[in-house]
Amino acid sequence: MLLRPELQALRSDDTPQRQAQAALHQLGARWRASGGGAGLDKALAAYARGEPLAHLPPLARLFTPGDPAALRLTCDLIDRLAAALAAAPWGQVPLRHKLDDTAATLVLAGAGNAALVLQAIDGAGLRRRPAALTASFSPGETHDHVLAGGAQARLIELRGETGAHADLAVTQCRLAAGAVARRSGAHQSLLIDAADTTLVTLKLQRRPPSGSVTREFRLADGTLAHQAAGNPRESRFELAAALLGRMGRSDAAPLLAAMAEEHGGQSLRWQSLKECLGLDSGAGFAALSRIAARTGDPLAAPAAALRTQLLTSYPQLAGAMPCPA
Amino acid sequence: MNLPKIDISALPDLDTITGVFGSLAHAAHVQSSDDTLIIMMVFVYEFIQGN
Repeated sequence: MLLRPELQALRSDDTPQRQAQAALHQLGARWRASGGGAGLDKALAAYARGEPLAHLPPLARLFTPGDPAALRLTCDLIDRLAAALAAAPWGQVPLRHKLDDTAATLVLAGAGNAALVLQAIDGAGLRRRPAALTASFSPGETHDHVLAGGAQARLIELRGETGAHADLAVTQCRLAAGAVARRSGAHQSLLIDAADTTLVTLKLQRRPPSGSVTREFRLADGTLAHQAAGNPRESRFELAAALLGRMGRSDAAPLLAAMAEEHGGQSLRWQSLKECLGLDSGAGFAALSRIAARTGDPLAAPAAALRTQLLTSYPQLAGAMPCPA
Repeated sequence: MNLPKIDISALPDLDTITGVFGSLAHAAHVQSSDDTLIIMMVFVYEFIQGN
Protein backbone atom coordinates (compact mmCIF):
# COMPACT_ATOMS: atom_id res chain seq x y z
CA MET A 1 0.00 0.00 0.00
CA LEU A 2 1.29 3.40 -0.94
CA LEU A 3 1.15 5.81 1.95
CA ARG A 4 2.26 9.37 1.36
CA PRO A 5 4.84 10.68 3.84
CA GLU A 6 2.52 13.47 4.97
CA LEU A 7 -0.13 10.94 5.97
CA GLN A 8 2.46 8.63 7.52
CA ALA A 9 3.62 11.52 9.70
CA LEU A 10 0.07 12.14 10.90
CA ARG A 11 -0.08 8.57 12.22
CA SER A 12 2.52 9.30 14.87
CA ASP A 13 1.50 12.91 15.49
CA ASP A 14 -1.93 14.13 14.42
CA THR A 15 -1.40 17.66 15.73
CA PRO A 16 -1.35 19.24 12.23
CA GLN A 17 -4.64 17.51 11.42
CA ARG A 18 -6.30 18.76 14.59
CA GLN A 19 -4.93 22.25 14.07
CA ALA A 20 -6.21 22.30 10.49
CA GLN A 21 -9.62 21.16 11.68
CA ALA A 22 -9.74 23.78 14.41
CA ALA A 23 -8.79 26.49 11.89
CA LEU A 24 -11.54 25.40 9.50
CA HIS A 25 -14.12 25.31 12.27
CA GLN A 26 -13.10 28.81 13.34
CA LEU A 27 -13.39 29.94 9.76
CA GLY A 28 -16.90 28.51 9.53
CA ALA A 29 -17.91 30.08 12.82
CA ARG A 30 -16.56 33.50 11.75
CA TRP A 31 -18.38 33.28 8.44
CA ARG A 32 -21.63 32.51 10.23
CA ALA A 33 -21.17 35.15 12.91
CA SER A 34 -19.95 38.13 10.94
CA GLY A 35 -19.19 37.14 7.36
CA GLY A 36 -21.55 36.49 4.50
CA GLY A 37 -23.30 33.78 6.47
CA ALA A 38 -24.49 36.17 9.19
CA GLY A 39 -28.26 36.15 9.44
CA LEU A 40 -28.64 33.11 7.19
CA ASP A 41 -29.38 30.58 9.91
CA LYS A 42 -32.09 32.72 11.46
CA ALA A 43 -33.72 33.42 8.11
CA LEU A 44 -33.52 29.78 7.10
CA ALA A 45 -35.11 28.67 10.38
CA ALA A 46 -37.99 31.07 9.75
CA TYR A 47 -38.29 29.79 6.18
CA ALA A 48 -38.37 26.19 7.46
CA ARG A 49 -41.26 27.17 9.74
CA GLY A 50 -43.23 28.26 6.69
CA GLU A 51 -42.42 31.96 6.38
CA PRO A 52 -42.67 33.14 2.73
CA LEU A 53 -39.31 33.75 1.12
CA ALA A 54 -40.24 37.35 0.29
CA HIS A 55 -40.46 38.13 4.03
CA LEU A 56 -36.87 37.05 4.64
CA PRO A 57 -34.51 39.54 2.96
CA PRO A 58 -31.22 37.70 3.73
CA LEU A 59 -32.55 34.68 1.83
CA ALA A 60 -34.76 36.45 -0.69
CA ARG A 61 -31.83 38.53 -1.99
CA LEU A 62 -30.02 35.32 -2.89
CA PHE A 63 -32.83 34.38 -5.24
CA THR A 64 -33.57 37.75 -6.78
CA PRO A 65 -32.62 37.97 -10.47
CA GLY A 66 -29.86 40.49 -11.00
CA ASP A 67 -28.96 40.76 -7.30
CA PRO A 68 -25.25 40.08 -6.77
CA ALA A 69 -25.83 38.81 -3.20
CA ALA A 70 -25.73 35.12 -4.16
CA LEU A 71 -22.44 35.39 -6.01
CA ARG A 72 -20.94 37.51 -3.22
CA LEU A 73 -22.02 35.02 -0.58
CA THR A 74 -20.67 31.96 -2.34
CA CYS A 75 -17.46 33.55 -3.65
CA ASP A 76 -16.68 34.91 -0.19
CA LEU A 77 -17.15 31.50 1.42
CA ILE A 78 -15.36 29.51 -1.28
CA ASP A 79 -12.41 31.94 -1.25
CA ARG A 80 -12.07 31.50 2.50
CA LEU A 81 -12.39 27.71 2.35
CA ALA A 82 -10.01 27.37 -0.59
CA ALA A 83 -7.37 29.48 1.16
CA ALA A 84 -7.73 27.45 4.35
CA LEU A 85 -7.47 24.15 2.45
CA ALA A 86 -4.45 25.40 0.52
CA ALA A 87 -2.73 26.07 3.82
CA ALA A 88 -3.90 22.80 5.40
CA PRO A 89 -4.84 20.22 2.75
CA TRP A 90 -5.78 17.55 5.33
CA GLY A 91 -8.55 19.59 6.83
CA GLN A 92 -12.21 18.71 6.35
CA VAL A 93 -14.57 21.48 5.31
CA PRO A 94 -16.85 22.03 8.31
CA LEU A 95 -19.98 21.97 6.17
CA ARG A 96 -21.81 18.89 4.95
CA HIS A 97 -20.45 18.04 1.56
CA LYS A 98 -20.33 15.32 -1.05
CA LEU A 99 -18.27 14.79 -4.14
CA ASP A 100 -18.52 12.19 -6.87
CA ASP A 101 -17.40 12.15 -10.49
CA THR A 102 -20.24 14.42 -11.54
CA ALA A 103 -21.56 16.55 -8.72
CA ALA A 104 -20.03 18.45 -5.83
CA THR A 105 -22.45 19.58 -3.16
CA LEU A 106 -21.96 21.76 -0.14
CA VAL A 107 -24.73 22.40 2.38
CA LEU A 108 -24.20 26.02 3.40
CA ALA A 109 -26.94 26.03 6.01
CA GLY A 110 -29.74 23.81 7.18
CA ALA A 111 -32.70 24.27 9.51
CA GLY A 112 -35.58 21.87 10.05
CA ASN A 113 -36.91 20.88 6.66
CA ALA A 114 -35.05 23.61 4.78
CA ALA A 115 -31.53 23.73 3.38
CA LEU A 116 -29.37 26.11 1.39
CA VAL A 117 -27.10 24.12 -0.89
CA LEU A 118 -24.40 24.96 -3.37
CA GLN A 119 -24.04 22.43 -6.17
CA ALA A 120 -21.59 22.15 -9.04
CA ILE A 121 -22.29 19.70 -11.85
CA ASP A 122 -19.41 18.74 -14.09
CA GLY A 123 -20.36 18.51 -17.76
CA ALA A 124 -17.82 15.79 -18.57
CA GLY A 125 -19.01 13.67 -15.64
CA LEU A 126 -22.60 14.15 -16.68
CA ARG A 127 -21.84 12.90 -20.20
CA ARG A 128 -20.62 9.61 -18.75
CA ARG A 129 -23.88 9.04 -16.96
CA PRO A 130 -26.68 7.05 -18.57
CA ALA A 131 -29.66 8.99 -19.86
CA ALA A 132 -32.45 9.57 -17.37
CA LEU A 133 -35.20 6.95 -17.46
CA THR A 134 -37.38 8.47 -14.79
CA ALA A 135 -38.35 11.80 -13.25
CA SER A 136 -38.70 12.13 -9.51
CA PHE A 137 -41.29 14.36 -7.85
CA SER A 138 -40.65 15.33 -4.23
CA PRO A 139 -43.22 17.52 -2.52
CA GLY A 140 -41.73 20.79 -1.38
CA GLU A 141 -40.40 23.99 -2.80
CA THR A 142 -37.08 24.54 -4.53
CA HIS A 143 -35.52 27.82 -5.63
CA ASP A 144 -32.58 27.60 -8.03
CA HIS A 145 -30.16 30.39 -8.87
CA VAL A 146 -27.63 29.52 -11.58
CA LEU A 147 -24.40 31.25 -10.58
CA ALA A 148 -22.09 30.08 -13.35
CA GLY A 149 -22.04 27.88 -16.43
CA GLY A 150 -24.90 26.77 -18.58
CA ALA A 151 -26.84 23.59 -19.20
CA GLN A 152 -29.47 21.94 -21.33
CA ALA A 153 -32.30 20.67 -19.20
CA ARG A 154 -35.85 19.37 -19.27
CA LEU A 155 -38.61 20.58 -17.02
CA ILE A 156 -40.95 17.65 -16.42
CA GLU A 157 -44.42 18.60 -15.26
CA LEU A 158 -46.89 16.23 -13.68
CA ARG A 159 -50.20 17.29 -15.22
CA GLY A 160 -52.42 14.60 -13.80
CA GLU A 161 -52.62 11.02 -12.64
CA THR A 162 -54.76 7.98 -13.33
CA GLY A 163 -54.05 5.16 -10.93
CA ALA A 164 -50.32 4.52 -11.05
CA HIS A 165 -49.92 6.35 -14.35
CA ALA A 166 -48.90 10.00 -14.74
CA ASP A 167 -49.50 12.45 -17.53
CA LEU A 168 -46.09 14.06 -17.94
CA ALA A 169 -45.37 17.16 -20.02
CA VAL A 170 -41.77 17.80 -21.06
CA THR A 171 -40.37 21.26 -21.83
CA GLN A 172 -36.83 21.70 -23.07
CA CYS A 173 -35.08 24.58 -21.37
CA ARG A 174 -31.73 26.29 -21.28
CA LEU A 175 -30.13 27.18 -17.96
CA ALA A 176 -27.78 30.15 -18.03
CA ALA A 177 -25.90 32.13 -15.41
CA GLY A 178 -28.21 34.52 -13.63
CA ALA A 179 -31.34 32.41 -14.12
CA VAL A 180 -33.57 32.12 -11.08
CA ALA A 181 -36.46 29.68 -10.94
CA ARG A 182 -38.89 28.32 -8.39
CA ARG A 183 -40.24 24.80 -8.62
CA SER A 184 -43.03 23.05 -6.83
CA GLY A 185 -41.53 19.62 -6.36
CA ALA A 186 -44.84 17.77 -6.22
CA HIS A 187 -45.55 18.71 -9.84
CA GLN A 188 -42.26 19.80 -11.35
CA SER A 189 -38.96 18.04 -11.76
CA LEU A 190 -35.82 19.36 -13.43
CA LEU A 191 -33.57 16.97 -15.35
CA ILE A 192 -30.20 18.31 -16.40
CA ASP A 193 -29.17 16.57 -19.61
CA ALA A 194 -25.89 18.29 -20.47
CA ALA A 195 -23.73 20.99 -18.92
CA ASP A 196 -21.34 23.07 -21.04
CA THR A 197 -18.52 23.11 -18.53
CA THR A 198 -19.50 23.24 -14.88
CA LEU A 199 -22.95 24.31 -13.82
CA VAL A 200 -22.92 26.02 -10.42
CA THR A 201 -26.29 26.45 -8.75
CA LEU A 202 -27.38 27.79 -5.39
CA LYS A 203 -30.46 25.92 -4.19
CA LEU A 204 -32.94 26.65 -1.47
CA GLN A 205 -35.15 23.71 -0.56
CA ARG A 206 -38.06 23.28 1.78
CA ARG A 207 -39.78 19.95 2.24
CA PRO A 208 -43.19 19.41 3.83
CA PRO A 209 -42.89 18.30 7.46
CA SER A 210 -44.49 14.85 7.21
CA GLY A 211 -46.80 12.50 5.42
CA SER A 212 -45.57 13.21 1.90
CA VAL A 213 -44.11 10.77 -0.59
CA THR A 214 -41.60 11.16 -3.39
CA ARG A 215 -42.69 9.46 -6.58
CA GLU A 216 -40.64 8.43 -9.54
CA PHE A 217 -42.35 8.03 -12.90
CA ARG A 218 -40.95 6.52 -16.10
CA LEU A 219 -40.40 9.16 -18.74
CA ALA A 220 -41.27 6.72 -21.54
CA ASP A 221 -44.81 5.90 -20.49
CA GLY A 222 -45.56 7.71 -17.21
CA THR A 223 -45.88 4.56 -15.10
CA LEU A 224 -44.97 4.73 -11.44
CA ALA A 225 -41.50 3.23 -11.01
CA HIS A 226 -41.00 3.84 -7.32
CA GLN A 227 -42.39 5.61 -4.30
CA ALA A 228 -40.40 6.65 -1.25
CA ALA A 229 -40.95 8.57 1.97
CA GLY A 230 -40.71 12.30 1.29
CA ASN A 231 -39.22 13.16 4.64
CA PRO A 232 -36.35 11.52 6.54
CA ARG A 233 -38.28 11.79 9.80
CA GLU A 234 -40.89 9.31 8.57
CA SER A 235 -38.24 6.79 7.59
CA ARG A 236 -36.49 7.15 10.94
CA PHE A 237 -39.74 6.49 12.77
CA GLU A 238 -40.47 3.52 10.51
CA LEU A 239 -37.07 2.04 11.27
CA ALA A 240 -37.62 2.67 14.97
CA ALA A 241 -41.02 0.95 14.85
CA ALA A 242 -39.48 -2.07 13.11
CA LEU A 243 -36.70 -2.17 15.67
CA LEU A 244 -39.15 -2.09 18.59
CA GLY A 245 -40.96 -4.99 16.95
CA ARG A 246 -37.79 -7.05 16.50
CA MET A 247 -36.79 -6.33 20.09
CA GLY A 248 -40.16 -7.64 21.28
CA ARG A 249 -40.85 -4.40 23.15
CA SER A 250 -44.51 -5.02 23.97
CA ASP A 251 -44.40 -1.99 26.27
CA ALA A 252 -44.19 0.11 23.07
CA ALA A 253 -47.51 -1.23 21.75
CA PRO A 254 -49.60 1.76 22.98
CA LEU A 255 -47.14 4.17 21.34
CA LEU A 256 -47.24 2.23 18.08
CA ALA A 257 -51.05 2.15 18.20
CA ALA A 258 -51.08 5.93 18.65
CA MET A 259 -48.66 6.37 15.73
CA ALA A 260 -50.88 4.20 13.55
CA GLU A 261 -53.88 6.36 14.35
CA GLU A 262 -52.14 9.67 13.66
CA HIS A 263 -52.57 11.51 10.38
CA GLY A 264 -49.02 10.99 9.14
CA GLY A 265 -47.61 9.08 6.20
CA GLN A 266 -49.58 5.99 5.27
CA SER A 267 -46.52 3.77 5.13
CA LEU A 268 -45.36 4.76 8.61
CA ARG A 269 -48.85 4.33 10.03
CA TRP A 270 -49.29 0.88 8.44
CA GLN A 271 -45.88 -0.29 9.60
CA SER A 272 -46.65 0.92 13.14
CA LEU A 273 -49.97 -0.91 13.05
CA LYS A 274 -48.36 -4.17 11.94
CA GLU A 275 -45.67 -3.95 14.58
CA CYS A 276 -48.30 -3.19 17.21
CA LEU A 277 -50.29 -6.26 16.14
CA GLY A 278 -47.14 -8.35 16.42
CA LEU A 279 -46.29 -7.06 19.89
CA ASP A 280 -49.77 -6.93 21.41
CA SER A 281 -52.51 -8.35 19.26
CA GLY A 282 -55.24 -6.95 21.53
CA ALA A 283 -54.00 -3.36 21.39
CA GLY A 284 -53.19 -3.70 17.70
CA PHE A 285 -56.58 -5.11 16.81
CA ALA A 286 -58.35 -2.35 18.76
CA ALA A 287 -56.36 0.28 16.81
CA LEU A 288 -57.03 -1.57 13.56
CA SER A 289 -60.76 -1.59 14.27
CA ARG A 290 -60.82 2.15 15.02
CA ILE A 291 -58.97 2.95 11.79
CA ALA A 292 -61.24 0.65 9.78
CA ALA A 293 -64.28 2.52 11.11
CA ARG A 294 -63.02 5.94 10.06
CA THR A 295 -64.41 7.84 7.12
CA GLY A 296 -61.99 9.68 4.88
CA ASP A 297 -58.92 7.85 6.17
CA PRO A 298 -56.99 6.29 3.25
CA LEU A 299 -56.05 3.39 5.52
CA ALA A 300 -59.67 2.60 6.40
CA ALA A 301 -60.18 0.18 3.48
CA PRO A 302 -56.96 -1.86 3.91
CA ALA A 303 -57.55 -1.83 7.68
CA ALA A 304 -61.07 -3.19 7.21
CA ALA A 305 -59.77 -5.94 4.90
CA LEU A 306 -57.05 -6.90 7.36
CA ARG A 307 -59.54 -6.85 10.22
CA THR A 308 -61.80 -9.30 8.40
CA GLN A 309 -58.82 -11.53 7.61
CA LEU A 310 -57.66 -11.53 11.24
CA LEU A 311 -61.14 -12.24 12.61
CA THR A 312 -61.33 -15.28 10.33
CA SER A 313 -57.94 -16.56 11.46
CA TYR A 314 -58.31 -15.56 15.13
CA PRO A 315 -62.01 -15.38 16.14
CA GLN A 316 -60.99 -14.65 19.72
CA LEU A 317 -59.89 -11.17 18.60
CA ALA A 318 -63.58 -10.19 18.47
CA GLY A 319 -63.26 -9.66 22.21
CA ALA A 320 -60.54 -7.07 21.72
CA MET A 321 -62.71 -4.69 19.74
CA PRO A 322 -63.00 -1.16 21.11
CA CYS A 323 -66.12 -0.27 23.04
CA PRO A 324 -68.53 1.90 21.05
CA ALA A 325 -68.24 5.55 22.09
CA MET B 1 -58.64 -13.18 27.38
CA ASN B 2 -56.42 -15.53 25.42
CA LEU B 3 -55.13 -13.33 22.63
CA PRO B 4 -53.18 -14.80 19.73
CA LYS B 5 -49.57 -14.10 18.86
CA ILE B 6 -49.63 -12.69 15.33
CA ASP B 7 -46.74 -13.25 12.94
CA ILE B 8 -46.38 -9.91 11.20
CA SER B 9 -44.63 -11.44 8.19
CA ALA B 10 -48.04 -12.86 7.30
CA LEU B 11 -49.70 -9.43 7.38
CA PRO B 12 -50.24 -7.72 4.02
CA ASP B 13 -48.45 -4.62 2.77
CA LEU B 14 -50.27 -1.66 1.28
CA ASP B 15 -50.91 -1.82 -2.48
CA THR B 16 -48.09 0.64 -3.18
CA ILE B 17 -44.95 0.01 -1.19
CA THR B 18 -43.16 3.12 0.06
CA GLY B 19 -39.38 2.90 0.15
CA VAL B 20 -37.11 4.54 2.65
CA PHE B 21 -36.43 8.24 2.19
CA GLY B 22 -34.04 8.88 -0.70
CA SER B 23 -34.47 5.49 -2.34
CA LEU B 24 -34.86 5.55 -6.12
CA ALA B 25 -35.56 2.99 -8.84
CA HIS B 26 -33.19 4.56 -11.36
CA ALA B 27 -30.63 6.53 -9.43
CA ALA B 28 -27.82 6.68 -11.97
CA HIS B 29 -28.86 9.87 -13.68
CA VAL B 30 -31.06 11.41 -11.03
CA GLN B 31 -28.18 11.54 -8.58
CA SER B 32 -26.27 13.85 -10.83
CA SER B 33 -28.95 16.39 -11.49
CA ASP B 34 -31.70 16.19 -8.96
CA ASP B 35 -31.82 17.40 -5.39
CA THR B 36 -32.49 14.02 -3.86
CA LEU B 37 -28.90 13.10 -3.23
CA ILE B 38 -28.30 16.24 -1.24
CA ILE B 39 -31.17 15.54 1.07
CA MET B 40 -30.26 11.85 1.22
CA MET B 41 -26.74 12.81 2.18
CA VAL B 42 -28.03 14.95 5.01
CA PHE B 43 -30.34 12.13 6.09
CA VAL B 44 -27.58 9.53 6.16
CA TYR B 45 -25.27 11.92 7.96
CA GLU B 46 -27.86 12.68 10.59
CA PHE B 47 -28.81 9.04 10.92
CA ILE B 48 -25.21 8.03 11.49
CA GLN B 49 -24.79 10.88 13.95
CA GLY B 50 -27.89 9.68 15.78
CA ASN B 51 -29.60 13.09 15.71
